[in-house]
Amino acid sequence: MRQYFSNIYLGVYSVFIGMAITFRQLFKPSVTHQYPYEHSFEQKKNVRDIPQGYRGQLFNRIEDCIGCKKCEMICPVDCIYITTEKLPKGERLWDSMNVVHLKDRTEIVGMIEGDEKIEADTTVSIQTRERGAVEIPSEQVARVVERKPVIFYLDKFDIDMSLCMYCGLCTEVCPTECLIMIDTLEGIEYSTFDRTNLIFKFAKPEMYDKPLDEAADAEAAD
Amino acid sequence: MAAPKPESKFIELKPFTDEMVVNMGPQHPSTHGVLRLELKLDGEVVREAIPHIGYLHRCFEKHSENLSYPQIIPFTDRMDYIAAMNQNWGFCLAVEKLMAADEKKGFEVPERAEYLRVLICELNRIGSHLLSFGTYGMDIGAFTPFLYAFRDREKILLLFEKICGARLTYNYVRIGGVSRDMPPQFLDEVKEFIDYFEPKIDQYNSLLTDNEIFMERTTGVAVMDNAMAINYGITGPNLRGAGSQWDLRKDEPYSIYDRFDFDVAYGKEIPEIGAVLGDCWNRYKVRMDEMKESVRIIRQILEGDIPDGPIMAEMKAVRPPKGEIFFRSEAPRGELGFYIVSDGTPKPVRVRAKSPCFTALSALQELSRGLMVADIIAIIGSIDIVMGEVDR
Repeated sequence: MRQYFSNIYLGVYSVFIGMAITFRQLFKPSVTHQYPYEHSFEQKKNVRDIPQGYRGQLFNRIEDCIGCKKCEMICPVDCIYITTEKLPKGERLWDSMNVVHLKDRTEIVGMIEGDEKIEADTTVSIQTRERGAVEIPSEQVARVVERKPVIFYLDKFDIDMSLCMYCGLCTEVCPTECLIMIDTLEGIEYSTFDRTNLIFKFAKPEMYDKPLDEAADAEAAD
Repeated sequence: MAAPKPESKFIELKPFTDEMVVNMGPQHPSTHGVLRLELKLDGEVVREAIPHIGYLHRCFEKHSENLSYPQIIPFTDRMDYIAAMNQNWGFCLAVEKLMAADEKKGFEVPERAEYLRVLICELNRIGSHLLSFGTYGMDIGAFTPFLYAFRDREKILLLFEKICGARLTYNYVRIGGVSRDMPPQFLDEVKEFIDYFEPKIDQYNSLLTDNEIFMERTTGVAVMDNAMAINYGITGPNLRGAGSQWDLRKDEPYSIYDRFDFDVAYGKEIPEIGAVLGDCWNRYKVRMDEMKESVRIIRQILEGDIPDGPIMAEMKAVRPPKGEIFFRSEAPRGELGFYIVSDGTPKPVRVRAKSPCFTALSALQELSRGLMVADIIAIIGSIDIVMGEVDR
């Protein structure tokens, strides 16, 4: 009889001990992320670093793109859609210039004065359009890319990321290295409520101040 | 010391009960993918197990006819997704040999690329066998090996992530070389992993291989003798588990495998524990031994010098001459063959993949006859199939 009641007492007691541990959690800060609205990687919690060169989302630096369509041709699943319009013969949007990528992930656009080959422990002077001549120590330079003369208007540069198979072939054939795969945590984040958001549109028609084609506009209006 | 085993584990119930047909799969955790087995049961004894495949068919061969050769390589990743490096390599070797038929188009793969290929494919072989070991343990009923195997496989995947930028579908080995050079300190990290991993194999052996319950489930079950394995065309660890010492890396060395000193792991008859040549236990044990041999090969690469130089052969475009080729290489699951017909254009006329898993699965019907239902799980785990490669 005594054993019976002591068992009941022990059972109830242990329940209270367990509840006390659970109850304590009520006053601790919540670890739940409301996932599509807030991402845990923004708080840099419980995430590991993604190594350099990881094949994540595709990104096109459209200013460097020359519309060669090599990426569209090599894509095994045909998820890149490009439409270009050729300029009149002899005209070009801009001449050849250099893009100097710095190690802090910024870039300077302009012509490198003198030899394009960067040697160690020297300063590189770049003639830019906006800021005039800029001098940079050569150890800050990560790489130099030649921006080719552009003879195309890029009307459309869409990548359907829901079709992409992340083989990275398009980034390897890109002659200006403007099409890259993002190797940070942002590059693997896709959550969206609408699947059409996964079609990434990179073209910026407004950057060309392209003359309006009135005949085509009138046709489209009909 | 185990108790003496009965001579045969075949069971025949007399009189026969009513035949019952049970569908096992396609969504079954121990069928390693989407394999559906139609089991005709007599009580708990399997009279017939008919595999139905095709649930993961993705038209690899038809797709290839409309793609250029470099574009096919990411599709080979999706065949055997557990050992995708070896699949890339198999396809690239076939195309390289096809191109070598024309003297003008032939090229030498650079030394550095060859070393990188062997290093990365042997790492992938370890990863593949680790997964096989872990899931086999889980199928049989031991959960711990699964966690241990995945912990170590994660380290290999992190290495791959650093060298090629992806964890599962690598697209690393290319026609004429590899896609990227290794990052700095990569070899140190590989050495760190190998030093960590080598003692672990013995730990796994004592954890699962020599476990009394595990041996009871697997020794003497589903014996596939050498003649039967050869008749079915079975290759890889399943054939070596039957006692054959056939390994393409040793017998027909491709790439630079002839420079390394390693032994071919094969099955052995051990009467003390009841292991018979070609039973489930031997097929499984070959994979554990092969991991040790892979570690040996990687150690030789690390100790020797990896030559400096380019990682990609110089060539204009991948446009093989007119002709056809069949080339086979030793993937973790057996001999992976690619048959390519070219008409001299950048796209192949026909690509046919000879998958080792498909032939291994074809033997399941004969292996499982007369065994218990629970033994089917042990057989599927021991022949180590990946449905992505069976269906392609």
